[in-house]
Amino acid sequence: MTRSLALTLNAVGLYAIALVLTVAFAAQLLLDELPCPLCLIQRIQFAMLAVGPILNVRFGPRPGHYAVSLFAAIAGAAFAARQILLHIMPGDPGYGSALFGYHYYTWAFIGFAVAIIALAVVLLLDEQFRDDGKPQSRSAFARAPVWLVIALTALNVVSTLMECGFGACPDNPLAYELLKRAP
Amino acid sequence: MEFTALFLAVTVVMVVAWWGTRTLALALFAATLLASIATYLHHASDVLKLSF
Repeated sequence: MTRSLALTLNAVGLYAIALVLTVAFAAQLLLDELPCPLCLIQRIQFAMLAVGPILNVRFGPRPGHYAVSLFAAIAGAAFAARQILLHIMPGDPGYGSALFGYHYYTWAFIGFAVAIIALAVVLLLDEQFRDDGKPQSRSAFARAPVWLVIALTALNVVSTLMECGFGACPDNPLAYELLKRAP
Repeated sequence: MEFTALFLAVTVVMVVAWWGTRTLALALFAATLLASIATYLHHASDVLKLSF
């Protein structure tokens, strides 16, 4: 895999992370399903997944940058697995609505597992780490998703502040705390 | 409040990764990852209802 192809794939990965964060917002705003604490920590890990590709697009592909994403994916998979196990008993309706038969935390686990496998595959292709001496150009296709992911993560700051206020986030959030206090 | 702070920290990590130095970005990433694991452990207090 050439350096240029690796950068394109990293950009595609960033678009995929942006899509995940957007779907999460869609469920929150359109279905009025506020994220629970465990849901929020999984969103945080999806955002953390993006740091590796951002570093790759900025500084060029390096194994350490993929390792950064790997750490985020492993942590995210562990958090999602816990939420699956909390609701795995027969008769448990699960938490929140389902998308194509699976709850969002199950999709999150699948997403993190796919990320781990994809990172392992990409790390095998070490041609991308050779410096070919060509100047590294960052196309608009590669720069745009960086801005997108930063914007979506910043929106999550606002959304979480509105949901939890300045105290602890409720275990089963039903309303935005900061909006409740507004006159 | 801790989740708002974590999202803010991740935003800062991303901004530093894009505009700042690589070393600082990696250090902030490590700190944020540890903070998110600590937050998870703090909240993961319910006993799992599993039977084997």
